[in-house]
Amino acid sequence: MAQMNPADQGKMQMMQDLEIEMMSDLYNRMTQACHKKCVPPRYSEPDLGKGESVCIDRCVAKYLDIHERIGKKLTAMSMQDEALLKNMNG
Amino acid sequence: MSNTGVSLESLDKDQIKTFSDFLLSYNKLSELCFSDCVNDFTARTVKPNEEKCALNCMEKYLKMNQRISQRFQEFQMLANENAMAMVQKAGASG
Repeated sequence: MAQMNPADQGKMQMMQDLEIEMMSDLYNRMTQACHKKCVPPRYSEPDLGKGESVCIDRCVAKYLDIHERIGKKLTAMSMQDEALLKNMNG
Repeated sequence: MSNTGVSLESLDKDQIKTFSDFLLSYNKLSELCFSDCVNDFTARTVKPNEEKCALNCMEKYLKMNQRISQRFQEFQMLANENAMAMVQKAGASG
């Protein structure tokens, strides 16, 4: 790992930055979605209610689950496409 | 001028990022709580109940964020552990 050339190191850094950016985008979208679904816009007190808390926990779990499932399906589909393209060209 | 130069130099990239993240969430929070709490424009001043609603909205949102970040970290740790186990399994069988 230490003998990586500068160009590769730059690419590594770029990939890492991209991953961090993607994660924070996922986080922000999830926060927005779960806030909309779990916290009704009546702010009579500053604390999260019991139901709201449970809803948020489930919302995060479900959001990440769906994220993973969609990722898997998307990968499978793009791999299928690639194989098809290869067959047509080859 | 030299004073600002020194303080600017001591700001590194991470600090600037943190500050910009803070400003962004500040703006987002203002927008959200304003839209949820202020619906009456028959008067020019903010009413006590509107202020209370907006402040509660902010505090609740921050608490929600805390909770979500906790859960998110738990999931990430679990995913990391699973990935590590997969790697070890592949290394042992291969």
